[in-house]
Amino acid sequence: MTATIFAIKRFAIHDGDGIRTTVFFKGCPLQCVWCHNPEGLSFQIQEAFYSHKCVGCGECKKEYFTAKDCLGEARILYGKEVTINELLPILLEDKDFYDNSGGGVTLSGGECLMQADFCAELLQKLKGLGIHTAVDTCGFVSKESLEKVVPYTDVFLYDLKAYDEDIHLKCTNRSNNLILENLKYLESIGKNIEIRIPYVPDYNDNQIEKIAHFLAPMKHISKVRILAYHNFAGSKYEALGIKNTLPSPLPTAEELQSAKKLLESITNFTVLS
Amino acid sequence: MNIMKYISDTDYSYIMNKYHDASQPFDSFKHLLTNHEAFYDTHTGLSSEQIEQGIRENDETYKDAPRSVRKARAVEYVLQNTRISCDKRDRFPGICTIHRVIDRALISQWRNEVTNTIIPEVFAKRYEYAVSGLVSVVPDYSHSAPRWDRLFRLGFRGIMAEAEAAKKKFTQITPLGFEEEGFYESIHIVYSAIIVFLYRLAENAKDQNPRLEKALLSLAENPPQSFYEQLLFDYLFFIIMEHIACMSCRTLGNFDVQFYELYKQDLAKGVSAEELRTDLAYFLMQFPALGNYWQQPVYLGGTKSDGTSQINELSYEFLRVYDEMGIYNPKIQIKLAKNTPKPFVLKALEMIRSGHNSIVFIMDETMQKSLIRTGATEDEARRGNITGCYESYMPEGIPMAMIYFNLIKPLEYTMSGGYDIVSGKLCGLETSTAFETFDEFYETYRKQLAHSIRKTLKIVDGFAPYLWRINPQPMLSATFETAIANARDALNGGCKNPSCVVLCGYLANIADSMTAIKELCFDKKELSVSEFKKILENNWEGHALLRQRVLNRLPHYGNNEETPDRFAREISSYASEVAEKHNNLYGFPCGAGFHVARMHYSHGKMTFATPDGRLAGDELSKNISASMGRSTKGPTAAILSATKLAASSFQSDACLDLGIHPSSVKGNDGLEAMYALLMTFEARGGHALHINVFDSEILKKAQQEPEKYKDLQIRVCGWNALWNNISKEEQDGFIRQAEALI
Repeated sequence: MTATIFAIKRFAIHDGDGIRTTVFFKGCPLQCVWCHNPEGLSFQIQEAFYSHKCVGCGECKKEYFTAKDCLGEARILYGKEVTINELLPILLEDKDFYDNSGGGVTLSGGECLMQADFCAELLQKLKGLGIHTAVDTCGFVSKESLEKVVPYTDVFLYDLKAYDEDIHLKCTNRSNNLILENLKYLESIGKNIEIRIPYVPDYNDNQIEKIAHFLAPMKHISKVRILAYHNFAGSKYEALGIKNTLPSPLPTAEELQSAKKLLESITNFTVLS
Repeated sequence: MNIMKYISDTDYSYIMNKYHDASQPFDSFKHLLTNHEAFYDTHTGLSSEQIEQGIRENDETYKDAPRSVRKARAVEYVLQNTRISCDKRDRFPGICTIHRVIDRALISQWRNEVTNTIIPEVFAKRYEYAVSGLVSVVPDYSHSAPRWDRLFRLGFRGIMAEAEAAKKKFTQITPLGFEEEGFYESIHIVYSAIIVFLYRLAENAKDQNPRLEKALLSLAENPPQSFYEQLLFDYLFFIIMEHIACMSCRTLGNFDVQFYELYKQDLAKGVSAEELRTDLAYFLMQFPALGNYWQQPVYLGGTKSDGTSQINELSYEFLRVYDEMGIYNPKIQIKLAKNTPKPFVLKALEMIRSGHNSIVFIMDETMQKSLIRTGATEDEARRGNITGCYESYMPEGIPMAMIYFNLIKPLEYTMSGGYDIVSGKLCGLETSTAFETFDEFYETYRKQLAHSIRKTLKIVDGFAPYLWRINPQPMLSATFETAIANARDALNGGCKNPSCVVLCGYLANIADSMTAIKELCFDKKELSVSEFKKILENNWEGHALLRQRVLNRLPHYGNNEETPDRFAREISSYASEVAEKHNNLYGFPCGAGFHVARMHYSHGKMTFATPDGRLAGDELSKNISASMGRSTKGPTAAILSATKLAASSFQSDACLDLGIHPSSVKGNDGLEAMYALLMTFEARGGHALHINVFDSEILKKAQQEPEKYKDLQIRVCGWNALWNNISKEEQDGFIRQAEALI
């Protein structure tokens, strides 16, 4: 069995507890306007060209050139098929750091649960080796996909963009009904959940209160993290040749602090920003 | 930076002008040649120029005395005549003539005598090796530590008395010879002179600084009786030994251990914690005022004999005051072990994260294992000193030479049959350049490496017998029980296990170069060694594609990749084994360590373009870190590579400099992650870890607008420098390094 991934990030600090290695799976059912991993949107393998890295060697003009031959690393192939046996040694390299930090491996993307069978098998193997596991999901997946990974996942990092459906459609081009239902499902079976709320001015900044009221009765949310929107990914859109949808306004420190306080006032959760 | 929390504006201005004119541009390298004459009242003593002349004239009287006595008389002369100031604006005296005038007046002649007349052939070879870029080897007067425990327990008079007692005991066994008599006499002269000096300082302090006066009078007769007196004692001993007696006092000691008793005693007597912090702040302020570029080391922590940590309340107070003051000199080494309390470590990491990168962690367990290899007992290893940047010695241990060795040069000799590629001279063994297999090539490199290390150590053998004749050490020797028991200067065998360590540099470059040669010349057979040599002689010109391939496609050390890491481990272990097969003058095995100070710039200029893609003249890699920009898999991979080295088998240090982008370690999660990195490094047997948290954007802004970044510091090697004080070339290097961080 293979999966298509587009990156492996080591020393990931903010993708769950401790020092982690995060695997980014290709393809996503949502189209968030603020997406900072546009290379993860498409399910296809894509080539990006970072013109500022080009060393002018001319190799790409030759027949049989592929991106991996680019000496200046200006042409990057996003997307690679991997097997579990290929991934595991890489994920185990930092085991000592996981053990010393309470860290582990996080599956993310894109949306990793669009390749749920692979994720389930990988997570099962990781658990068998004593590795802490996390799944970072947008929640817009079938319940069956969730069920496949539930037995082998220690914590779900669950993204919540908006409570109101019309706002969610504006932000992601998708309804949030399935997302909210899946979250309720995970809560009902007692899974450990960390909620991640991207804060994007002019898009979902007015949703914090409603999200807070939605989350307040839940008992298995270990923490809520507000993720400040940033627009550093502009060069990726250009390199991929896709339309840059990144909004302009960035959140201020005051706005983030207000959002944090609002969440804390309505819920009992640890809120980080 | 909030020095004013403890020190008023007026006092700060006074202190910063004690040693240098703070209104003038400060050159941290040239400052040793100057001192601030205009600051001192001329009625308190002679000018430094007069003192220098006076030392020479005074020496005429003692021309026939043992050299140790002549040195002691010179120290005495300076102490009798230097201008002084015990102004009320400072809790520590000002001493004018602190630019090592005895070196200019006396020691330089003795050095020239040895260099030019007694063993000119040794120094000719030394010079030859230095200009070729193979190795810099000089006598080491820079990394010693006195027995602070004896000093604090006995005081100046007690040290003198114990030397007298040792002399009596010695003479019961055998009569004293000329030098031995001189040895004990020189101790008496120096310590008597120090005591008289304390009285002179006290007289100057009278009426204007009564607390200082009282403390000086107390120290003239007794060991320190209070925390303040102990700080004063530490400062005075340091400044006299280093800046007058011309022997670096290369640690202020294991501060939190050695000062704890009197600190606690003062608290119990009702002295407020705030007052003690203020005393500490004035003490610490002396070192930025002195401005030695290598910064003054002081270390914290360690392990007690029962296995528990030495960390105590004073450890925390030290960090607190240091943090609040925002200074970077002294520099702090922390002995880290599994037993080191986590809150203390987190405090240090928080300081590092906020820009206090003058803190380095030394792994206690690895350090102890290294010291035991040099012959230390378990107790001596546990009490081992950290001196200089990261070096460690058992108590009364002393180095004989500073050796910075270029691991790349033997590669040049290998590829060219023994010739230095840059100069064209025969510098290595004449060996064949026809290699059938990589193993043959590798074996030839090992032969060249071994030959170069052995000839380096012969230089040390040549000058080691003369170390004490160039610069005798009565002041340091008096603190060593071994010295006074045997009537021998610390530099003449009056010490424990005198060491000779070859500090090997550019491990990443040699590991990556071997990887490239193996792949291109032997595995893929794309070009021969001699063809590769020609490419390197031409500085990769016309072979940009090949160079890009080597830089971007081949594996590099620092990324947990098998091949380059294997070479790093094998070559470092081999260098250590070769050195250990050579016994020094006193019959102890030599050894190896792996740090470069600033030599990676100067050696880089003398080293050919290397097979790892580096251009000729470019800087080489630092310590045991990856080459510039080649560590692409983050800090965990860098640690995994570095901890494959057999650090506990080296006699000296192996420091990993870990660069981390600030965004990677934000928030509480980030701090915990730094802690986990550190403790994993410790668990895997690393030796020393220095963490630099920096952002390339800040560095670029600082380069464009230096006036806005006057306080920005950067870690050069084992010391910090202000960003604005380093060259543009060095700044560009740091920016490149920061840009490569993930």
